[in-house]
Amino acid sequence: MSIAVGAERPVAAPNVAEDLLRVEGLRVVFPTSAGGSRTVLRGIDLSVRPGEIMGLVGESGAGKTTLARSILGAPPVPGRVAGGRVVFRGRDILALPEKQLRRLRGHRLAIVVPNPRGELNPTVRIGDQIATMASVHLGLDRKAAKARALAMLRAVQIPDPERRMNAYPHELSGGMAQRAVIAIALICDPAFVISDDATSGLDVTVQAQILDLLRKLAAEHGSAMLFITRDVGITAHFCDRVAVLYNGEIMEVADRNALFLAPAHPYTLLLLAAFSHNPGLRQGWSVPASTPPSPAACIYSGRCPLAQPLCRDEKPPLAELGPGHAVRCHFPVRR
Amino acid sequence: MRILRYLLHRLAFVLPQLLGIVLVSFLLVKSIPGDPAVLMLGPTATPDAISSLRGQMGLDQPLYKQFILYVDHLLHGDLGTSWQTTRPVLDDLLQRFPATLELVTFSLVVAIVVGLWLGIASALRPNGWIGRLTDIYGLSAGALPDFWFALVLIFVFYTLAHWAPAPLGRLDIAVLAPEPVTGFMTIDTLLAGDMEAFRSAVSHLILPVLTLGLINAGPIMKMTQSSMEKMLASDASRYEVLCGIPQRLVTRHALRNALPSIVTIVSVLYGYLIGGAVLVEIVFSWGGAGQYAVQGVLNSDIYPVLGFVLFSAIFSLIVYIVVDLVYVLVDPRISY
Repeated sequence: MSIAVGAERPVAAPNVAEDLLRVEGLRVVFPTSAGGSRTVLRGIDLSVRPGEIMGLVGESGAGKTTLARSILGAPPVPGRVAGGRVVFRGRDILALPEKQLRRLRGHRLAIVVPNPRGELNPTVRIGDQIATMASVHLGLDRKAAKARALAMLRAVQIPDPERRMNAYPHELSGGMAQRAVIAIALICDPAFVISDDATSGLDVTVQAQILDLLRKLAAEHGSAMLFITRDVGITAHFCDRVAVLYNGEIMEVADRNALFLAPAHPYTLLLLAAFSHNPGLRQGWSVPASTPPSPAACIYSGRCPLAQPLCRDEKPPLAELGPGHAVRCHFPVRR
Repeated sequence: MRILRYLLHRLAFVLPQLLGIVLVSFLLVKSIPGDPAVLMLGPTATPDAISSLRGQMGLDQPLYKQFILYVDHLLHGDLGTSWQTTRPVLDDLLQRFPATLELVTFSLVVAIVVGLWLGIASALRPNGWIGRLTDIYGLSAGALPDFWFALVLIFVFYTLAHWAPAPLGRLDIAVLAPEPVTGFMTIDTLLAGDMEAFRSAVSHLILPVLTLGLINAGPIMKMTQSSMEKMLASDASRYEVLCGIPQRLVTRHALRNALPSIVTIVSVLYGYLIGGAVLVEIVFSWGGAGQYAVQGVLNSDIYPVLGFVLFSAIFSLIVYIVVDLVYVLVDPRISY
């Protein structure tokens, strides 16, 4: 028996029609300089329900940003979507003509980016950048768009919003720039927000404020969220459900409580153990990378302390372990 | 107000800068072999006549005294006299410098329009046919000499097609030149309300402007293309795309961010072309400042050369000050 990469069934949500956004078998490849291609996302299945905050945890290089941008149909250059669908409210948006997809981006599906001072346009005033979103997507005239932008700056609790309207990005602190980017993401009342490591560059105290703000505003606007982070600790008190991404594959998806109280994938255990104060636990679950596994093998088998011969011969499917809890492992850890 | 202070600060340095430029060019010109007294008096002159003329011109004085004398005259508005035209250099330059400036300015406008358009189009689609066209164009514009291109244009549009007027100066011989006000023939003819002269001036401008414009669009296009490609691939542009901003707006913002490097290359070209247009001036008998200076160099006529250097130095300094002000307007991160 062998299972092709990316051909697994989507994670069985109890009622598929309920999903606001569903990623099905999404594959993204990057051409390499040698003329070949490198697969960065290997068939991602993920679903987000209306109003839900879905966490996505993974280490650097797991493909988090690629996933965030590919969902919006704009994978990082020079990557391209090689397969799979992104179904938003029942429509595959990746199959839409570029123009219609462009109208959804920033309007119905918005993104909060990390490192906003590098992403905001350095020569355009903050107020104008926020107002542009409203005039482009909502068709507001200049004055109305400006008024909405100001209201939005107030909502993200930027101190002295009237003055910040006329500020340039380099005149803002990191925390203020992050708030401005959140204002850009939420000004059109999107149904779905992707937060791509949005708090990674901030002080811990500012981070907490931004997280509270994000959650509060998402709830007020009725937006569902895909919350991408490197910090598994944040997901514990921020997300309703959590998915674990490793090397372009979802390793485990579960409700927050199930994931933290009964983690089943060895990699999830590694992530949690990394936060543990027990050195024995930390070392027990962390194994240095060995030879890269063959394409047929479990992608984590090279680093897995529990790997068996089967793991190197056959790739495990993302299989249901319990209600809403799926894991990609031949030998899930049970307690 | 900060800009005003910056401007004063810059202007304060203009005089010492000019003095330095005059000193260096004075020494350089003086180091060119050749004795103007010998050239002026011709092959039959007696040694006595030559040495008395040298004394008259101050050529027997030590170099530093000659320089001090020249600067002293400069400060009184006397740029010396050209022995070739026997007119004050200032009068000659006031007539010829605007001729060159008009030619170069219109050429630069053509170069900017062509260069910007091609540069942006190729940055948006580097692998499309426009991208390939611009590669070929950039290569040819860099490789073809401007005077050769000018001769080809004359051959096609004057000799064969008779669309263009003869390449002999700025106006038809039959047309009376208007009273010089700005020195720009197009503007002066309009001020005089002489439409026939205006048409003549424009028709004489077309071929030299096309020559210089199309050749110098090359570097502007290359700079536009590379900085636009960089800006379109920047995080800011990618973020705008992720936010669903229409491509036209993304491009406009990218162009604005790419503007400083484009303005830089344009300003460098502007200063360079004042002297660099000389071959084209010669081909079209333009009677501009570059031609005047080259004649001066060839005939040991030093005052036209020094006067030309002074004029183009002042012009370049003005251009660079304007460019620095443009930077401030374009990029809010720059402050002086």
